[in-house]
Formats: sequence, C-alpha cells, structure tokens
Amino acid sequence: MISRFITEVSTVFNPFSPKAKTARLFLSFLPPNARQTMKITTKLLPRTSKDPSFVELKFSKSPLFFSTVLHEEGSNTALVEDGMQMKLDAEKLGVKGVIEEVDRHSRMLSRQEELTGN
Amino acid sequence: MAPRISPPSKVMASILRCKRPLKIRRQYATAAATAITPAASQAQMTRGEAPIARYPPSQPPSYKPPEFRKSQLLRQYASLLRSTPLMLLFQHNNLKSNEWSAIRRELSLALRKVDEARVAAGFPAEQLEEGVKIQIIQTGIFSAALKVVEFYKPETSPSTLDPTDPSTPSSATIPVFKSDGSHLTHTLSKAAHDATAKRSHALAPLLSGPLAVLTFPTVSPLHLKAALSILSPSPPQFPAPTRRANPGWHEPSVQSGMQKLLLLGARVEGKVFDVEGTKWVGGIDGGLEGLRGQLVAMLQNVGAGVTNTLESAAKSLYFTVEGRRIMLEDEEKGPSEEKS
Repeated sequence: MISRFITEVSTVFNPFSPKAKTARLFLSFLPPNARQTMKITTKLLPRTSKDPSFVELKFSKSPLFFSTVLHEEGSNTALVEDGMQMKLDAEKLGVKGVIEEVDRHSRMLSRQEELTGN
Repeated sequence: MAPRISPPSKVMASILRCKRPLKIRRQYATAAATAITPAASQAQMTRGEAPIARYPPSQPPSYKPPEFRKSQLLRQYASLLRSTPLMLLFQHNNLKSNEWSAIRRELSLALRKVDEARVAAGFPAEQLEEGVKIQIIQTGIFSAALKVVEFYKPETSPSTLDPTDPSTPSSATIPVFKSDGSHLTHTLSKAAHDATAKRSHALAPLLSGPLAVLTFPTVSPLHLKAALSILSPSPPQFPAPTRRANPGWHEPSVQSGMQKLLLLGARVEGKVFDVEGTKWVGGIDGGLEGLRGQLVAMLQNVGAGVTNTLESAAKSLYFTVEGRRIMLEDEEKGPSEEKS
C-alpha cells in the first residue's frame, strides 16, 4: 500500500462486529512511523452499536489534480467529496478494496508529482 | 563369518507355530507331544483393548499431531485462559521491538508501584506485577483454545489408576485404554475438538488481525486501572501519568508505541466486556476490598433497619405499659394525698 500521500486517517468501527475487520486491518497496514507523518484518529463504538464502520482518508494536496480525480472517482462506489478526501465504506469493500482505492489515488498523485518535477 | 541374525528363540518359535493353520499344529502336537496353550485370536492380538496405557501419562494421544507448534500453542493458550480471570485484548499496529520493550517496562513499573502502595496500606503482599504479562497471540489458535475452555466441560475426570502400580487395589476397576484415544478428555483430544468445532464464541469477532493480550492472575481493579492509564489513558477516569511523576512514560518510544496499541475489549471471569465495560471494571473504587466494604456497609445498614423495626413494637408496648403504670400510681397517690 502506498501510504506516502495520506495525511489524515479517521476510522470508526465497532470491534464486536465481524465487519469491523476491514477497518482494523487497514490500521494495521499503516507503517510503523505512521503516527509521525499522518494524523490518525480511531473511534470505537460500543458493543451493541449497529452503526456502519468506515475509513475516512485525506490525501496531500495537489491542486492541478482536482478535477480529474473528481471525474474518475465519481463513477466509483467510493464517495469522493473533493480531490483530497475519501470516505470508504469498509463493510462493502473489504481490506483489499480499500487498499486498491488508496493505491489508485496514490499512484495518480505520485505520477503528478513526477510530472511536476518534485 | 558368523551370521548376524540369531536363530529364533523358543518363545518366538512358539508364537510362529501358533500362526500356522490348526491342522499342522495338531500334527506337531501329536508328534512332539508338547502342550501349547491356545493363543489369542489375530483380532485380539492386534486390536485388543488392554487395560494398560500404551502411552506415557504425560503424552496422551491427541487429535492433531502433538509435535506441531500449533498443537502446543493450543495447550499453552488453553492453560493461559483457564488461569487468567482478567484479560484485555489489544490490537497492535506495527509496533517496533524497542517500543514493545519500553511499554513492558513502563507497565511493570506502574504495577509494581500499585503493589507497593497496597503493601504500604496494610494489605498482604501479593506481587501481582510478576504475573501480569502482555503477549502477542495467534488469533486462530487462540479462538480454538477459547472455545475448548468455554464450551468443553468433560464430566469424567481421567482416571489416575495405574495397573502396574503395586499400591493399586486388585478390586479396582481399571479404565480401558483404547488405542485410538476416544476415551480421553484433555484439551487436544478428539472429544474436545468435536465438541467445539461448530460453536462460536462472543469474543470471536475480535480475534482477527494483529492481537496482543494482557493477562492478570486475579481480578484486581486497582492493577487494571494502573495498566489502563499506561496503555490507553483516557483523561477523566484513567489519567496518564504526569511528566514529573513518571518521566519514563513520556519518552518517544513509549509514546509512539502507546499510540499504536488499541484496546478492543476484555474477558473478565468468562464474560465479554467492550471498552466501556472494561473501564467500568477498572473504575471500581478501592479495588475488590472497596467493593466488599461497600457491600458490608450496605448489609449493616439493612440489619440496623430490621432491628429498629422489630424493636420499635416492643418499645412502644413498653412505653404504653409504663405510661399506664405511672398513671395508675398517680391515681393511687392522688386520693391518698388528698386524704392526708
């Protein structure tokens, strides 16, 4: 998983629900120094809660890229508010799906970075 | 050169003779006139159920091969689960080894402080700090061990009679040892596997991903409170140690490790608690002694109330009778005074 461009991760899940596995595994996929490079917030729901679990991500800014991402991600199941934010429904996607979404966006950001010559 | 294979001994020869067809043996018997006891049948000799264990008592047959690491892990986890009434489950997200060691150091320091405080307060020394341990577990085997501990309760305890022991009375019924181990009831036995294979435990959804457990030898809310304030501090109830009181806790390795530990739930005396429930257990004032004190005070109050109620009837009767007596005495006195 390319976690270089992620700046903020916030997850909400109920650990007693089997569907929370995705969010928990996503947290375990972040590198050991993740807390220094990004802001991570985790909210645990109580045991009886039926609220859905989700993973919300923010990526580092890349202003040139704004419109393309909106266009491409709009057709996807993932809900994209603008170019930098992603709210992924962890219950439907599974951890592979979440990582795929993150990687797709991160690859585009890295290509953008290469093209601008940074 | 002499042949290496020695000729069959007398006993071996007789066994070999037994396996031959009956006809030939009878011919032998008549010819050589030797008495041969009728041998056991082939089935009895190969699959007979002898009252003697064919295995050492420390190594009974198991469902999965006992030399596998996972078999031994299952035994280890089952004994851990049986011996720990209070267990916290943490998710650990890529902690480094120096962070683990720093966290363990801080944890043992905090627990030792609690132990010393208890000794200073006059309670007997328990040294709980040595029994509290945080360890990473294999989730699949741990859930299997949890199911064996929770759901498999064999009625018959395994017999310890040994037929070869001279102290065993001859009238004792010796258990039959079956070679396939179907009578055994230990953790690795087939019976335990069959009883738990289709069940699922309430803690099962938690047992996925990277997991570590913190185990306590007894349910001690004071120690739990200390551990929670080190591992997952939440300010009002479980405040983090201040920088002046505990500078070691504010080291970067402890801090980064602590942020990556995520408290998921707990198992307290066989019951499953979520994070809120865990905090409730940790927040019991004064530990178990405090709880006992509260209970005793409550019961004393109830007792005092009952005695008051029971006494009140007798008291009121006494006061009534006493009042009447005084009244009568006054009446007796009154006329006499008037007379004199």
